[in-house]
Amino acid sequence: MTDLALDRDKMKRKGRFARFLKQLFANKMARFGGTVIFLLFLLAVFAPVIAPYEYDAMNLPEMLKAPGFGNILGTDEFGRDVFSRIVYGTRISFTVGFLAVGISLLIGTILGALAGYYGGALDYVISGITDIAWSFPVTLLAIVFVAALGPSLINMIIAMAIVSWSGFARLVRGQFLSLREKEFVQAARVLGMRDRRIIFRHMLPNALAPVIVLTTLEVPKAIIVEASLSFLGLGAQPPTPSWGAIMNSGKSYLMEAPWISIFPGLMIVVIVMGFNLFGDALRDTLDPRLKD
Amino acid sequence: MLKYTVKKLIMMIPVLFGLTVIIFMILHLAPGSPVDLIVGPNATPEVYENVTKSLGLDRPLITQYFVFVRNLLKGDLGTSILQQRPVAEMILQRLPVTLEVGVWALITSFALAIPIGIVAAVHRNSKLDYAAMSFALVGISMPTFWFGLILLYLFAFRLGWFPVSGYGTWQHLVLPVIAAGLTDAAVTARMVRSSMLEVVGQDYIRTARSKGLKENTVISKHALKNALIPVITLLGMRIGWIIGGSVTLEIVFNRPGIGRLMVDAIFARDYPVVQGAMLVLTAFILLGNLLADILYAVADPRIKY
Repeated sequence: MTDLALDRDKMKRKGRFARFLKQLFANKMARFGGTVIFLLFLLAVFAPVIAPYEYDAMNLPEMLKAPGFGNILGTDEFGRDVFSRIVYGTRISFTVGFLAVGISLLIGTILGALAGYYGGALDYVISGITDIAWSFPVTLLAIVFVAALGPSLINMIIAMAIVSWSGFARLVRGQFLSLREKEFVQAARVLGMRDRRIIFRHMLPNALAPVIVLTTLEVPKAIIVEASLSFLGLGAQPPTPSWGAIMNSGKSYLMEAPWISIFPGLMIVVIVMGFNLFGDALRDTLDPRLKD
Repeated sequence: MLKYTVKKLIMMIPVLFGLTVIIFMILHLAPGSPVDLIVGPNATPEVYENVTKSLGLDRPLITQYFVFVRNLLKGDLGTSILQQRPVAEMILQRLPVTLEVGVWALITSFALAIPIGIVAAVHRNSKLDYAAMSFALVGISMPTFWFGLILLYLFAFRLGWFPVSGYGTWQHLVLPVIAAGLTDAAVTARMVRSSMLEVVGQDYIRTARSKGLKENTVISKHALKNALIPVITLLGMRIGWIIGGSVTLEIVFNRPGIGRLMVDAIFARDYPVVQGAMLVLTAFILLGNLLADILYAVADPRIKY
């Protein structure tokens, strides 16, 4: 390809992407969801600047103080500032959400692509394992994995990734099964391209749209699972300010200090809603067929 | 029909097999032996060895697995290390506590979600639809246990309408059932709505309308029946969700169900109990899926057996 053709190609692609963005953000849901995610992301990045206190700074004389001047969301049983802890907690939700989903995306895509591309006995084996994994309840299985590995943030991320890749595998396999029969893939094969090149350069980019949608909708699920596990004491350990862990310690003081439990949960509702709205809008724009 | 049911049952075997392998393996490969828990840190090596032998932990892993499965088939889930009681007995005792919330939550959820979903679909893009779907969006974005905490604070601590913890009377049931039922209704209502919308777009609905049938008849006689078929499958999926969520809710409302048993056992490293509780919970979920598959085939004659 000449340089000129390459440039033209790039421009065309850029134009398509700009059009896609314009179409996406014409959607009110996408604008709202996207803004929420962006703001919370800023909160996570600039946590040390925004939080008035360190997340583990104890101040016993000030414990269980109601929201008000100085501590806008009150203090917990160690006198720690709830607002600061929640701000730092944003980092954990994002990290766990993206890492857990990212790893399961990787596992699921590889397995799904192999099964869909090669078919035959390999497909039979991978699909069998995927179907079994699919029928397991994610939260319960994650609990058992964490029980075995020992409760910690890293182990929780590993457990969540191990139990939730099957959705991606099923999706990618289905995509590859139909792409395999397409003319451009057949042509690539006739030209003698190697499998790896066909898979990565030709098929994967064409299977991407629904995968991106699923990823966006899996992140909020992972955030809720993280909160549930940490609430049970199986995730982030004290003094890590995971929202679920804050609610876990707060539940013992629900009567006298409900703010400890209420505000982190509110944050979860907001972030999960943001991702859900954005994911729904993304689906409507990228792949209207997926609309449920 | 029978053939279909049998086929579905046979297909469950690899799943159950996989399940027992996974649960067995991860708990046996976990660092820290349950023997430490029994003998304590000051035991002599001889005592340690004896206990290991008596628990059968000195045998190869694969042998241990087959013993585990053999006992399982006999209904023997092992013995709790901490309480020295049969795990099966402990689980049976707590099963009703978990199931009563689960069953009522499922009933609440479907009783709310089906009418809401249908009304939202029939009046698509109306204010009613937006209102219903906005509530549903909040519902699906809310962790069940957090909703439980809010209910607990408002209606038990503040207003004193319901007991703070425990179980036994219907008053103890109300808050956990609302927490599980409402959040679940949100998911279900969204799916009922989309299922209904899909049916309303079909040709035979247009035919029914063009025949001059009243809109009510079209909806109730023609659309509804077909729209509810996918909802049956949903029922099976929701059972899993509700049982999974029961673990956190039992902690919030301090109910001595299987979920609570399992979490307590995890912290006590009482692995036979974790294993048993996990197996029973998952078995319920798989049974729910199976039931849904069968009901689905009964409801929709187009399904090939």
